[in-house]
Amino acid sequence: MGIHVAGIESADDAAHRAGGIAFAEGLTKIYGSGEARVVALDEVDVSFERGRLTAIMGPSGSGKSTLMHCMAALDTPTSGRIVIDGVDLAGLKDRELTRLRRDRLGFVFQSFNLVPTLSARENITLPLDIAGKPVDPAWFDNVIDTIGLRDRLAHRPNQLSGGQQQRVACARALVSRPAIVFADEPTGNLDSRASAEILGFLRRSVDDFGQSVVMVTHEPSAAAYADRVLFLDDGRIVDELLSPTADSVLERMRGFDMATRRS
Amino acid sequence: MIKITLAGIRGHILRFLLTAGAVMLGVSFVTGTFVLRDSIDATLNNLFSQALKGVDVQVRGTQSSGDGGLDDARAPLPLALEKTLTAVPGVQRVAPDVQGTALIAGKDGTAVRSGGAPTLGFAFRDDDPAFSLVAGRGPSGPSEVAVEQATLRKSGLSLGDTTRAVVGDQVRPVTITGEVVFGSMFGATAVLVDEATARSAWASDGMVSAFTITAEPGVDQDQLRAAVAAALPATAEAVTGAALDAESQEALKTGLGFFTTFLLVFAGVALFVGAFIIFNTFSMLLGQRTRELALLRAVGASRGQLQGMVLGEAVVIGLLGSALGIGLGILIALGAKAAIRVGLGASIADDLPVSAAAVGWSIVVGVLVTVASAVIPGRRASRIAPVAAMRDDLVIAPKGLRLRGSVGGALLVVGLAGLGYAVTRDDPLWPLAGVGAGLAVLGALVAAPLTTRPVVRLIAWPFAALGGVVGRLARENSLRLPRRTALTASALMIGLALITGLSVVAQSVKASVADIVTSEVTSTYVLSAGGQSLVPTSVSTAAQKLPQVASVATVNGVGVQVGAVDTFAYAGEAGPIAENFALTMRSGELAALDATHVLVDETRAEENGWTVGEAVPVRVGALPARQLIVGGIYADSQFIGQVLIDESLYEEAVPAGARGAFSVHIKAQPTADVAALRAELTTLVEPYLLVSVQDGEEFVDSSASQVDTLLNLLYVLLLFSVVVAVLGIVNTLALSIIERTREIGLLRAVGLGRRQLAGMITIESVATAVFGAVLGAGLGLALGVALQRGLRVQGLETLAIPWLGIGGMLLAASVVGVLAAVIPAVRAVRLNVLQAIATD
Repeated sequence: MGIHVAGIESADDAAHRAGGIAFAEGLTKIYGSGEARVVALDEVDVSFERGRLTAIMGPSGSGKSTLMHCMAALDTPTSGRIVIDGVDLAGLKDRELTRLRRDRLGFVFQSFNLVPTLSARENITLPLDIAGKPVDPAWFDNVIDTIGLRDRLAHRPNQLSGGQQQRVACARALVSRPAIVFADEPTGNLDSRASAEILGFLRRSVDDFGQSVVMVTHEPSAAAYADRVLFLDDGRIVDELLSPTADSVLERMRGFDMATRRS
Repeated sequence: MIKITLAGIRGHILRFLLTAGAVMLGVSFVTGTFVLRDSIDATLNNLFSQALKGVDVQVRGTQSSGDGGLDDARAPLPLALEKTLTAVPGVQRVAPDVQGTALIAGKDGTAVRSGGAPTLGFAFRDDDPAFSLVAGRGPSGPSEVAVEQATLRKSGLSLGDTTRAVVGDQVRPVTITGEVVFGSMFGATAVLVDEATARSAWASDGMVSAFTITAEPGVDQDQLRAAVAAALPATAEAVTGAALDAESQEALKTGLGFFTTFLLVFAGVALFVGAFIIFNTFSMLLGQRTRELALLRAVGASRGQLQGMVLGEAVVIGLLGSALGIGLGILIALGAKAAIRVGLGASIADDLPVSAAAVGWSIVVGVLVTVASAVIPGRRASRIAPVAAMRDDLVIAPKGLRLRGSVGGALLVVGLAGLGYAVTRDDPLWPLAGVGAGLAVLGALVAAPLTTRPVVRLIAWPFAALGGVVGRLARENSLRLPRRTALTASALMIGLALITGLSVVAQSVKASVADIVTSEVTSTYVLSAGGQSLVPTSVSTAAQKLPQVASVATVNGVGVQVGAVDTFAYAGEAGPIAENFALTMRSGELAALDATHVLVDETRAEENGWTVGEAVPVRVGALPARQLIVGGIYADSQFIGQVLIDESLYEEAVPAGARGAFSVHIKAQPTADVAALRAELTTLVEPYLLVSVQDGEEFVDSSASQVDTLLNLLYVLLLFSVVVAVLGIVNTLALSIIERTREIGLLRAVGLGRRQLAGMITIESVATAVFGAVLGAGLGLALGVALQRGLRVQGLETLAIPWLGIGGMLLAASVVGVLAAVIPAVRAVRLNVLQAIATD
């Protein structure tokens, strides 16, 4: 098909290491066994670049969420190698994985991102508080001003709108200056205006702070905010698009749909 | 709907099992009580029939009259009556009940006995059907004894061994010549001596309490009784063996009735606590199933059907819990039996009868409590609107606590005020006090949720301060649903309030006893047998002969009736009393005390208008009433009591075999070397095995410590409700973790370690447990103080609060909290982070 797939040549591993904040080789994830055996990820090689916003797209069951969960140390692959910010996940115990998530990763989930008993401020500083690390006030202010929720910091999550909650979640993901932020359909539950705010915010975190962000989405308009879009199907990376627009993503998806239908 | 009900239970099997566990514990108490009662009943029946073997007619002293508190007192009978009885036609054998106390020293040199069980001594008679000789031969002469089998085993001695025996008030070395077997001894020990020794030890004054008569073959009990009765003086009566058996059965039934009621009260407390947990569990389960229930409503289930479904679940849980409870109850009865066996060194029952009534009551109680506890949650569930099925957020806005708080607070205030008024009156109004206490407990239960916020904040403060975000999260979790936290804590509050109240009363009793002894006893030394046995009279006689001893006052007593006053009178002699006790005379002279004079305390004198010199009718024990002159009136004394009679009247009323002193008080000569005197006294009492020498302080301690045994028993019984409450904490936590699965997943995803998660849950648990303990301690203190105030007129004058014990209880509550958190915490840390986040 002549499609260039990032990270397929393991020969220049070092090159990936140089540019990639996280990468995986031969990543395979199999659920169940026998009749119920499902291959969610099939020998995936992938690299995410430092200081870039990467979007992962694909139809339901394509393995995009599994890929993200494995890359985010939330799930363990059946085989393959994952390196995050220079740390090889192979053989890490739960405690080390927990520490890795706490210190080097940020998360934004589709919903239920906040602890209901804590205020917005407490939710934002939660990873630092858990780690017992001090909050850098200048950086905190910077993040807060970017998300624009300064007057809402004392509120509990149930006093905030869905968009505001998601903004708080983004602030939490950024406040510990993680190596990489994983966002799992962060706008899945939001209307278009709130979505635009969140995506704009993620975009700014990349442009202004040099943050590396990986986002799973199924909306072409959301993917358009990314520097690069990876397309997954059947557990494999089947396509890639650099500097996407909503139209180009849609077009690629359509073509890709037809390609899979034909095969 | 039945299918849905069963599916509902299957779907939440663990949560229902925990609920059934609460039912189980309450029910097991009920079953255990019934089984233990039936078991003791059977054993005692067996014991009586064994003891009454060969008793066709018994001759005993008449009771002086039926009224008053002297029911048990019977006049002693002269041994000479034996001849008269033998002469009655139809009589085959007459055996005077020559018996008293006897004990031997075991291999280790200490007295052979079990706990506070009696140490019995009998005359050995070959033809006595109550026991049989299984090894060796019967004793003959004063230096030989036969020993009951279990007693012998406990002593570590064997036939032919020589040891020391205390027979009545005689001490001598003896050889064990025989081993005998009675029916069940119920823990008592028995030593048998020959007839002559028995008579000299227990009937030295020629008086016995009864004669046992066996009929000639072919003579029927009633006939013989009539013939015997005709030959008796007025002070004696004859009863048939059958009537005696019936009397014992009656007494047994009454006694067991008290015992059963006593235990069932504790079972009731445990079940009441269990009801809280059932209520809480059902509320939480139904809350978690709101969407499911709403869906059922949306597809057409009626409110009644939903309510029926919930009650159906309750019935199933009630049945399951009761069945498990019956099993556990039988185990508890077995355990109690084993504990009694260890404690008494004797088996109380060979089998454990499980009657249909025990099973039936257990099931009825278990199911009723469960269903009743599920009614309110069930009604709440039936009110869920069908539209809730479609709604995303299921947070039902909690109702305000203000109304609830004011109602509860009002109840608490009114209850405490009523209680306070009732017990501070000169003449406490106990019914009002009971109602007041009930209202106060109810008020505390109702108002508890309002106190959650401040109290839990305070308890969690150190955790939040030291534990950082983990402590803060735990605190906020406990405060999230104040009602639920309060309900869970209330279950613990009930048991701990009772424990605190009891310990306040117990501590006050100890302090009061100590105060009384300290202020009223002026003796140098006190000889006592630990409160469970009497000090033989020969001890005081011997002590009197020591040169350094100024006087010896024996504290012994007998039931008396002076005018309308029924009491237990202290008997003594004026001189020793004056030297050993601080007794203040209001009028008359202490020295007036003799066989024709009685002394009474101020209150009794005032109430009855008695004055010195006046003659009053007095009955001592079962002796006929006589006129005694009031020789003096003394200031009320808790130690001496209301009435003081002369030693000679005591000796007249109590046969030699039953005499003995509760304590013997020794006043040293002013010039005496008290340390040397102590050594002399120790040498003197040592052969008596059970008697020890105490100085004033030791006597205070030992008098006060007698409260502890009873107290420990009550604590063990109340522990049941505490265990049920702890189960409730486990249940609530486990359920709340299921509710918070997603939140826990999120916390884990953003970096909360397993240990931190377990720590958070443990802090929540500790906060709940300590909250319950704080409420319980507060309520218990109020009740305990009220009880002490009410009882002050009965001699419980000193209020003492066991702060150390209460502090220990709070500490224990935190340990309990940690333990209760184990299962929920393990479940929480085992949650798969990804699945947890994905749960809805």
